[in-house]
This record gives sequence, structure tokens and C-alpha cells, in this order.
Amino acid sequence: MGILSIIFIVAGLFFLIVAAIGVIRFPDVYSRSHAVSLTDSLGAFLMLVGIALHEGLSINMLKILVVLILLYILNPVIAHATVRAALRSGLKPWQKGDS
Amino acid sequence: MNIFLFCVMVSLTILIGAYLYRVLQGPTIFDRLLGHNGISTKAIILLIVMGIYFDRVDMFIDISIGYALLNLVGALAIAKYLEQKGHP
Amino acid sequence: MTLFVFWILLSASFDWIHLSLGLACSFAVAWLNSGHSPFAPKFRLWLRVSLYLPWLFYKIVQSSLHLSKLILHPALPIDPQMISVETKLNHHAAVVLLGNSITLTPGTITAEVDRNHLIVHAMDKVSKEDVTSKQMELKIADIFRDEKPDL
Repeated sequence: MGILSIIFIVAGLFFLIVAAIGVIRFPDVYSRSHAVSLTDSLGAFLMLVGIALHEGLSINMLKILVVLILLYILNPVIAHATVRAALRSGLKPWQKGDS
Repeated sequence: MNIFLFCVMVSLTILIGAYLYRVLQGPTIFDRLLGHNGISTKAIILLIVMGIYFDRVDMFIDISIGYALLNLVGALAIAKYLEQKGHP
Repeated sequence: MTLFVFWILLSASFDWIHLSLGLACSFAVAWLNSGHSPFAPKFRLWLRVSLYLPWLFYKIVQSSLHLSKLILHPALPIDPQMISVETKLNHHAAVVLLGNSITLTPGTITAEVDRNHLIVHAMDKVSKEDVTSKQMELKIADIFRDEKPDL
């Protein structure tokens, strides 16, 4: 049980680090939001599943799964709201030819 | 196991620093909002890992659920406000 | 009912004072909010959605591996573009599910929804293929094939 949860947590940490690099490297709001969504979908999933495996079968594991479901429902909503606000206020997306 | 969890906590904090760079530096205000969203996701995970580390998971998970819901309301309110205001 | 299960899950205490308090609270909230939303999902719909979720998760893993390859590439070979998609879904919940799935998949984000007309921001050619190939939309239309259209 310990080894499996360590593998899951390290994989999740890898995706979180990649997403942070992406947030720093990408050129504009829209592509940065892709990086944040990478964090939310796969990084948080792997981390929380690893923690739930470490915790074992109990009420806490169910609560961790509730947190996971909440993250999965709420995070697309927030990303969509941010991108829509950016689009409606007239921010132009970065094209390939720009600097 | 404890040392491993401690390393995970430290690296999560460093990642929060990376997002904080985006919040402070961001060219437009939406970058700052996005950085805030990323920081709060990291904070939820960090709270749960901290709960495992201190053996008080039952308490810290409730805090993180509340944090997730508050984060939703706050981010939605800011996004709606910026949409109404309408400047880049 | 669902709220009561949620209460039990959150409070994690099983003595009868807490249980009856939770029952009263969840009934009060359900009664206050009844008649607010006309859409009540049926059981077979939940079953089909839960059959759809593993496929969505496979898609998420595939595209996030692709996106992390893009991020770690030293030359940053991205080609972001806006594409507009016209869907044939005719149910509110179906459009919501489609938009959420598109946003949850890394590489594509729903930027604007107007009835069944979506504007999607895609990262490069491969992520664009995910949306324009209509695979996801066909699956969701298959889930909602028995429902009464309300859009």
C-alpha cells in the first residue's frame, strides 16, 4: 500500500510541476488557463488518489473522494468563467506569428 | 513516510511560489485571477497533505472542503465583476 | 435524499441527535428549493453518465500527456486558435456536460456558450482534432437519446 501511494503522489507532483512551468512559460491568458486545467484534472487527481490509498478504507477516504468530485465539478466552471470574462472584455488571443 | 510527506509539502509550497510570480507579474488582470485559482487548488492539496502529516485528517479535510467552496464563490464573483466592467 | 447522504458523509457521527438534525436540515433545504429546476435526472441517466466517465478519464490522461510534452518542449511549438463548434445536442444538461468535458480535457477550453453554439479555444492541431472529430458529442448524444428535448 505504501509503495503504490508513493508512486501516485510522485506522479501527481510531476504533473503539478509541469503545470507550474507551463504557467510561467506560456504567452497569454488563454494558453495559461490550459496549464492550470492540467493541474486540476490530472495532478490533483493523482495526488488525492495517492493520499486516499495511504489513508486506507475509512470515512476519511470517502471525504477525500468528495473533495476530488468537488474539484472536478468546480474547476471547469472557474476556468470557463475566467476565459469568458477575458473574451468578453476584448482581449485578443495570442497567434502564432506574434512575438 | 514522514520525511516523504515533508518533502511533498515543501515542493507544493515552492509551486505556490511559482504561481505567486504569475499573480504579481501578470500583464493583465485575468492572469492574476488565474494565478489565484491555481494557488487555491494547491492550497487544498497542501491542507490535506498537512492533515496526513499531523495525523488530524478528519479536521483538515473539512477545512479544505470549505476552502474549495469559498474559492468557487470568490473566483466566480471576481470573474463576473470583471466581465461587467469590461476592460482588458 | 442526496443531501442527507452528503450530511452523513461530512459530519461522520452516527448518534441519533446528529442524524435527526441532518434529516430535518436536508428536508428543509430540499423543500425550499423544490420547483426551482425543472430537470430531475433519472436513474438510467446516472448509469449512462457513470459509464461515460471512464472514457472521459482516458481522454484526459491522453491529452494531458500530450500537453505536458508541449510544455517541456524547448521550442514551445504551440499554435493556439479559436474554433467555433455547432452541436446538434438539444438538451440543457447535455450542453452543460459537453462544455464541462471540453474544459476538463487539457488543451481545450470552452470560452463561450450560446444555446448549442460553442466557441472553443484549442492549443494546437492535436487538441483541435479532439473537438472537431465530434467523438465526445456523439457519446453525449448517445447518453441523452431517450430524453425529451427542451432547447
